[in-house]
Amino acid sequence: MDRDGGIVEANTAARALLPAAAGGDRPPEDLPDWLADAHRRMSGGLGVTRLDALSGAIGERLFEAYPTPSTDGDVVWWLIDDTERRQAEEILRSEQERAAILSEVSSTLLSSLNVAHCTEATARLAACHLADAAVLVTPAQGPCFSLTYARAGGPVTQVLRAIEPATVPGLAEALQGLPPIPTQWIDPGDIPPWAIPEGFAGPVGSVIVTPLPGRGTADGALILLRPGTARAFSESEDGFARLFAARAGAALSAARLYTEQAGITATLIRDLLPPQLGGVHGVEYAGRYRPARDDERVGGDFYDVHPGADPSRESLVVLGDVAGKGLDAAVLTGKIRNSLHTLLPLSHDHEYVLNLLNAALLRSRHSRFVTLVLASARRRGVRVRLRLTSAGHPPPLVVRGDGRVEESGTYGDLVGAMPTVSARTVETVLAPGETCLLYTDGITEARGGPLGGELYGSERLKRDLTGCAGMPAEALVERVHMLAAQWLGQGRHDDMAVVAISAPRAGPLAVVNGEGRPGKTRKRQGRSS
Amino acid sequence: MTTPSPDFSLVVTAVPDALIVEVAGDLDRGTGEKLIRTVAERLTPDTAFRRLRLDFRHLTWIDSMGLSALLMVHHHADTAGVGLRLDRRPDFLERLLDLTGTFTYLTGIPRAAGEVPDAGAG
Repeated sequence: MDRDGGIVEANTAARALLPAAAGGDRPPEDLPDWLADAHRRMSGGLGVTRLDALSGAIGERLFEAYPTPSTDGDVVWWLIDDTERRQAEEILRSEQERAAILSEVSSTLLSSLNVAHCTEATARLAACHLADAAVLVTPAQGPCFSLTYARAGGPVTQVLRAIEPATVPGLAEALQGLPPIPTQWIDPGDIPPWAIPEGFAGPVGSVIVTPLPGRGTADGALILLRPGTARAFSESEDGFARLFAARAGAALSAARLYTEQAGITATLIRDLLPPQLGGVHGVEYAGRYRPARDDERVGGDFYDVHPGADPSRESLVVLGDVAGKGLDAAVLTGKIRNSLHTLLPLSHDHEYVLNLLNAALLRSRHSRFVTLVLASARRRGVRVRLRLTSAGHPPPLVVRGDGRVEESGTYGDLVGAMPTVSARTVETVLAPGETCLLYTDGITEARGGPLGGELYGSERLKRDLTGCAGMPAEALVERVHMLAAQWLGQGRHDDMAVVAISAPRAGPLAVVNGEGRPGKTRKRQGRSS
Repeated sequence: MTTPSPDFSLVVTAVPDALIVEVAGDLDRGTGEKLIRTVAERLTPDTAFRRLRLDFRHLTWIDSMGLSALLMVHHHADTAGVGLRLDRRPDFLERLLDLTGTFTYLTGIPRAAGEVPDAGAG
């Protein structure tokens, strides 16, 4: 090109590129502005000999231009077609962006097992990265669907409403998990108002409907929208939306599965938790339970109080310990508690009940055994009559009014391992203010103490209980757990359970919560039902 | 439990008519399973052993899962027609067997005769 921008000579390729310029000596009309400008700067006597990264479009293609000045002031421009490399770079950049989006999707969604949170995040991420607006459709109950609306930069809203999926082209298919309909086939005019988020800018221009793959079937579908004013979804965006939906679907179904399982666990555990105890037919009961691991709520120890049909009948107290810890053991405690509940009418004969339970356990596929204490309690006047039977279990302790601690003389075989169970039942009477304590070996086998590693032991427990004379049942079980906890320090421990049976200190059906010597003072200190 | 449990070990010796297993350390859930496996592998129905002797001289502790293991060992021995002996029982094992009424069942020896372990308890 000469100083004035006229084309002096052009090769065949250049003539093909700029046909109007071919041959002529005048500045061609169709020489692109960016090239014309650059030429003026080169030849304008500004002494510029090098220009940086000169590039621009000619027609539909992209070129890089390299000038070579000659001594007579003409400039030879070498034009190199750059279209393919630019396109490749463009594709690479968009793929990198997409990989980043998918990674964000996975880390955002998989960090939560909350279904509502996952749904909201899916809609938000889709509206932010894939489209201008997104609607997540997940089946709820019957004709109702949960709809989650999101706009780029806008709030996410969730509503539950009855919709007809067939009103959105491809939605019914997507909800069945069938392959999505290509975006070009969907007429944006067919999108019903319910599928368009509030505040969406203008009429819908293009639409993607894609299934959210779940366990075996679709867990829902995603509708992506762009307004008519924006560029329509391309085929590659359609494909990317499916990838996005696959990630989101996996996260959502994991969250759903977890929620289902957590619900089942909560239901099952409810029945395994120890009951709340209180006063029954003029006898006070209190229980405390501490599982072997503080992050568990159930374990191998259990207790129940089955009230007698009326105050003249005995109530049956059961405290037991299944070999083992955790959920495995807890499931077996559930079976044993149910069996004993069924055997209540026979509880006038403890040994017989134990033998029936033994037979039932031997028939089951468990190789586990249980040790337990049965206590039948009945109020007679101000006293409480007790029948106590130990089956392979530490014998109950009776805290007398004067501070003496007696070990009841009951003993018997453990249940569930041997063909028959023999056991000796003993009777005792509690005067007002006196308490019978049932405990599992988690208490006496607590290891710790000042030197560490030493057993708490039944002798120490008896000694500590002498200071607990006259304590109400609630206070006593609390005290025993505290003693064991203090002995343990930070050490590991087995399941620990304690039940106290007390004769109230004053009046029928009164709760004792004060001090004073039982049997001597008759002052009424508290009252409850 | 708070103290690290001493190393558990099983030393198996076969004499002409008896299998002797020395149990050392704590017998609980994990170690109990090892004891059961050790015994079950050696007491096949056609075994020549007439007696299984568990030597507890170096037993340091036993919990309910350990007792459960002894009951399973008894089951295997019984099935194989082999008598079980519990030798050199420490006090805590003696108390557990007493409390649970399992001594006679495990050994076939009436409690009165079983009061005196056959070798000096250590």
